[in-house]
Amino acid sequence: MSALTVTRKTADASARTGGGLLHGLPWLVWRRNRTAFLLLAAVTVVVCAYCLYHRAGVLDFVAKYANDSRYAEKFDEAYKPVFDKLYALSLLPPLLGLFLGAPLIAGEQEHGTVRLITTQSVARTRWISATVLLPLLVVLVCTTLMSLAFTALWSPADRLVNYGDWLGGTIFDITGPVPVAMALLLTSCGIAVGMLIRRVVPAMVVSLVISVGTSVAWGWLRVHLTSPRTRTGPASGDFPAIPDSAINHDQWLGTSDGHLLGYGTCVDAKKEAACLADKDIVHKIIEFFTRDQMPVMQWRGTAVLLTLTVLVVAFIVQWTRRRPL
Amino acid sequence: MSDPTEQGADGSGDWAVEARGLGKKYRRGWALRDVSFRVPAGRICALVGPNGAGKSTFLGSATRLVRPTAGTLELFGVPVTDPAVLSRFAFLAQDKPLYKRFSVADTLRMGRELNPDWDQAAAERIVRSGDIDRNAKIGTLSGGQRTRVAFALAFGKRPQLLMLDEPMADLDPLARHELSGLLLAEAAEHGTTVIMASHVLPELEDMCDFLLVLTGGRLRMAGDTDALLPAHTLVTGATQDGALPRELAAACTVVENRVSGRQFTALVRTETPGARLPDGPWETVPPGLEDVLLGYLRAADAPPLITAAARPETHLEAA
Repeated sequence: MSALTVTRKTADASARTGGGLLHGLPWLVWRRNRTAFLLLAAVTVVVCAYCLYHRAGVLDFVAKYANDSRYAEKFDEAYKPVFDKLYALSLLPPLLGLFLGAPLIAGEQEHGTVRLITTQSVARTRWISATVLLPLLVVLVCTTLMSLAFTALWSPADRLVNYGDWLGGTIFDITGPVPVAMALLLTSCGIAVGMLIRRVVPAMVVSLVISVGTSVAWGWLRVHLTSPRTRTGPASGDFPAIPDSAINHDQWLGTSDGHLLGYGTCVDAKKEAACLADKDIVHKIIEFFTRDQMPVMQWRGTAVLLTLTVLVVAFIVQWTRRRPL
Repeated sequence: MSDPTEQGADGSGDWAVEARGLGKKYRRGWALRDVSFRVPAGRICALVGPNGAGKSTFLGSATRLVRPTAGTLELFGVPVTDPAVLSRFAFLAQDKPLYKRFSVADTLRMGRELNPDWDQAAAERIVRSGDIDRNAKIGTLSGGQRTRVAFALAFGKRPQLLMLDEPMADLDPLARHELSGLLLAEAAEHGTTVIMASHVLPELEDMCDFLLVLTGGRLRMAGDTDALLPAHTLVTGATQDGALPRELAAACTVVENRVSGRQFTALVRTETPGARLPDGPWETVPPGLEDVLLGYLRAADAPPLITAAARPETHLEAA
């Protein structure tokens, strides 16, 4: 009898709440951001399909020739258009910050609906958590899929794509965990900025400025994530050679007492040897990154970005807890 | 009913709203200061005052949208600092915010998803009686239809207390009539306490049986309209030495006095209801609710009038 009542109650409840998988706050978040989520899902599907489609060709190319910089030019002829299109993936994090993050709370504040939603029977902390975390979860899933797809396309030909330069171009930023962390950070920054500015368009402008600032800071941070490998040679000769696949980072002139001078110090001098002797330069030093350092650098960078993301999200939740929006 | 907060030992369940020393200070000054009153459950209460009097700040404090700087505020014995208070009230802000891209059905579903005591039948009935298409987007509805959907959302929540900020301000007379009828019928059916804020009293006069008047952030008048009115008299007569006759001023509290030439018009109140004014060379008229209200709004320094029913018990009295 009681079992029957329970069944009936559940049946009533499900009939009452209607169809669909989502209920409560997740339903609301989904309904509010339906367009953005569907668009993001569509982009994810297209990018993944495009990457996997071309992956077959890339694998064929590598099988036919080799994953070796000697064939980079030939590879470029065939696949440059494909990769040039995919480099646009680096725009995804700023776009998410601008169009998903910034309006997320600012839109509610601008249209007054924040007063509607925070006076339903759901505590403000729960509402803000769902509103912030569920879109971030969607961003996490979509960018992870896209990053996996692009990484799968790039890694078999890592010495061929962009002539093997994984650091200088956008490849570092759109493979592995980096695009995911960058998207999460810029999205949460957009949300925080929107919450503080309370107007959608100004919030989007500020988010854009933040994206540019982040990109500049990231450009500096990227090469400081690990110490470059170095090779030292005598000042009399050329700069020492580095492995084929390595990426030249910087060159220095070293004095006998251990100081480093810019490699251009004696370029303009009429007599290089005299200049070198005059400045007491005894070494030529070259700094470079090798491919095996890339995962370490990417994961360290990701740790920095994710730490910032956590701080921003904690700030958003704490801010709404302490005062009404 | 077994909920102890609903029927506290001190009878706190009888009071829909109980404010003690409530204050809110913004950077530019106090928007609400030292406001103490209570509203018995089941009343239709008008919250009246000029623009900037603190009405919206009070409603904000009661709906957890504004954090009070000082004092306490309880709805049905639950302090507003407790999130549990959220299911006790429904709030209709002045601009009736709704998601414009939601359909009417989506809007009602939102109410259902976020409120445990949701009454879908009641909400649907309110929408249906307005002849609104369930699949219409909120953005395409007229002002009256939007207000009706907002009402449906508010009543579907099954609140014990319904708070409305300028509910009729942007409605045409027809929609205003229709929706005030709906409001009163729904409130009467479920015994809902209603607080309506407005700066236009005639809009609310016929509907309300309880009155709260705020000016400059302070409570000027609170109580049953039935008890507030008989305490007041409108007196007109000839001035003595250019002022109000002395024996009249001594017999009652002068709320407001206007002298034009040798004529005075004064709104006075007697402290004990039913007490008679001394006879003299003046005429007395029972004032309308609006006369009383205007008197208090114009005379900012008149002593506030808070009837026994609206006065919160001090701890001394309670002991």
